[in-house]
Amino acid sequence: MREISFRDALREAMTDEMRRDERVFLIGEEVAEYDGAYKVSKGMLAQFGPKRVIDTPISESGFAGLGIGAAMMGLRPIVEFMSWSFSLVAADPILNNAPKMLYMSGGQFGCPIVFRGNDGAGGQLGSTHSWCVESLYANVPGLKIIIPSTPYSAKGLLTQAIQDDDPVFCLESERMLALTGDVPEESYTIPIGSADIVRPGSDCTIVSFGRPVHFCLEAAEALAKEGIDCEVIDGRSIKPLDIETFSASVRKTNYCVVVDQSWAFASVGSEVAAELHRLCFDDLDNHVHRVHSDEVPAPYAQNLEQEMLPNARKICEAVRSATYNA
Amino acid sequence: MTIDITMPRLSDTMEKGTVIKWHVGPGDEVTAGDVIADIETDKATMEMQSFDDGILSSIVVDEGVSVDIGTVLAVLAEEGEEVAATPASAGSEPIAAATEPPATDEPHRITPVARRLAEQYGVDVATLRGSGPSGRVIKRDVLAAAKTTDEVRAAVPPSAQRESPPEVTPTPVPVPAASIPATRVDPAPQALAHNDRRAPVTSMRQTIARRLVESKQEIPHYQVSMVFAMDAMMAMRQQLNVELADQGVKLSVNDLLVRACAVAMHRNPLMNASWDEDAIVYHGDVNIGIAVALPEDRGGGLVVPVIHAANTKSLRVISAEARVLSEKARTRGLSIEEMEGATFTISNLGMFGVDAFTAIINPPNSAILAVGASIQKPVVREGELAVGWEMNATLSNDHRVVDGATAARYLATLKELIEHPAAILV
Repeated sequence: MREISFRDALREAMTDEMRRDERVFLIGEEVAEYDGAYKVSKGMLAQFGPKRVIDTPISESGFAGLGIGAAMMGLRPIVEFMSWSFSLVAADPILNNAPKMLYMSGGQFGCPIVFRGNDGAGGQLGSTHSWCVESLYANVPGLKIIIPSTPYSAKGLLTQAIQDDDPVFCLESERMLALTGDVPEESYTIPIGSADIVRPGSDCTIVSFGRPVHFCLEAAEALAKEGIDCEVIDGRSIKPLDIETFSASVRKTNYCVVVDQSWAFASVGSEVAAELHRLCFDDLDNHVHRVHSDEVPAPYAQNLEQEMLPNARKICEAVRSATYNA
Repeated sequence: MTIDITMPRLSDTMEKGTVIKWHVGPGDEVTAGDVIADIETDKATMEMQSFDDGILSSIVVDEGVSVDIGTVLAVLAEEGEEVAATPASAGSEPIAAATEPPATDEPHRITPVARRLAEQYGVDVATLRGSGPSGRVIKRDVLAAAKTTDEVRAAVPPSAQRESPPEVTPTPVPVPAASIPATRVDPAPQALAHNDRRAPVTSMRQTIARRLVESKQEIPHYQVSMVFAMDAMMAMRQQLNVELADQGVKLSVNDLLVRACAVAMHRNPLMNASWDEDAIVYHGDVNIGIAVALPEDRGGGLVVPVIHAANTKSLRVISAEARVLSEKARTRGLSIEEMEGATFTISNLGMFGVDAFTAIINPPNSAILAVGASIQKPVVREGELAVGWEMNATLSNDHRVVDGATAARYLATLKELIEHPAAILV
């Protein structure tokens, strides 16, 4: 199978769907003339023209609301946030309108829209531009959240998201856009809410989402040398959660570490841990351990930023502690 | 400097000991000579004294836990010293996790999966020392214990057999040795009904089990019974107790029997002997052991305190010794010396109304007398029907040492002494 980059996989999902369904269009800052701030939409303006690949002013609240209105009227917008950090100024449309529209309109208006962009620390972008929004947004009913960690899942999940009738938030990472991997040329979908066991193992389950999955794999390799055989699960979706896959694994290993790049309090990680304690109570040999970003705004200094985020060392420590090998 | 209080060697054959009861808790002041714990050995429950002064900093081994000699049981901090939260030895050796202080006042901690696996594999978690934090029993403790008894696997329900067999988590990190049940008392545990319970076997119960199985399997037992007219002895006992009441003397029937048995032994020295494979050892002193049942709250069981050289001791001395020993056995526990050296044993169930029974010989004795109750009943005395006191006693003998005629002669002597008891007074 051919290898392509994460950003190319995202683009393929969008272009495939735009060819297949003329209701689909892309809107966002610099997505058209500049080929995208991160070149995800490179060549799309030339391919689909300015009616379907639309540059906007720096006005997230405005173009997010525009997208929602278009979705309510039957189109299938893809709204790109250069960074999910910038979505905070569009909190009202994306949290207060999109996920509630179907409910508030008594079923008259759905909102089949995709919001996508870079999530998490991009590398020395400072605290205001390094948001991990998953725990904030996952709290809201009515929306779906996907968080691919590989080019393969990026294409499959984004394709599914564009076809989905509900608002879907696609959390990407600037740090992974150049990551390459096997991706089929033909179009395919990955169901939202289905996790992937990316490394089978028997001694401890590690559940993660998005970019930290790679840190988990790195940690698993190191721990394997110590004789601890970890099973790493890429959640792929945050809402809905594939808790069945997680719990089946924990029933096998009896130990679990959840790695979530958001802050610990009221987070995706705490939700996963709570659900695993409920579902696997009689199978646990220790409480579910969690690795999160430290509870500070993201530092600018590179060394501090690396230390603040989940990393392989922290994950190794958590697994050793969880399995009583500390 | 903290001082480690370790499991002492309390008898020559002792390898492990069990803390039956702590008399002190963390924070208590301890003075050298204070009794700080009761320790159960293979032979007895004994008091453990502190050799030092200080403040008890932590208890490392919980009540009911059996550990090897030398294991740190508790940590003493010297005066003015910060009371440490962990024992001095923690971290100094690879089994540090095993010496982590289990919380003393807290219930037995066990993880959910460890509890479930323990049920599946029939592991008695009360016998395990948890290697997790605060002594928490974790999965590997249960699997390690399950692995020690291969037979257990046969008893695992089919649903559990589909899962992986009990293997210790294959990590290279040193796995603290889980404490392993001392004996395979029940290698294939019975399935427990809802209201059944499995009680771990105390080391005293194990000793009883081992010695009596040995005795019953190795010693060719036979029994000889006789009925004794007790009228004279009962009358004498009453008379002595009335006359000596102001001196604190209160003779029991058993005291009189100890004396009578000792005198009868002295007159039949072939009875006072032990089998020693290629020889028979004839004992000089007549040391009479008295079986004493222990109260359930001290773990039950029975011990056999010994009245040494009972043939040379007066009734008054025997009575006083017997009272002290049985009281001590029931409350504080006997020392090894107080239980060693019996050459003959009396087991009396008369106080329970038992009229006759047989007893198992207490090795290395060659005989044991099983004594029933003295009962008032119709009897024939000098050709006339009368109301009299009678007592049945059954002598179990080791046929390797004592032949039937010897045993019969001994009982005849005993009958003579019991029915004409003035002879035991001098």
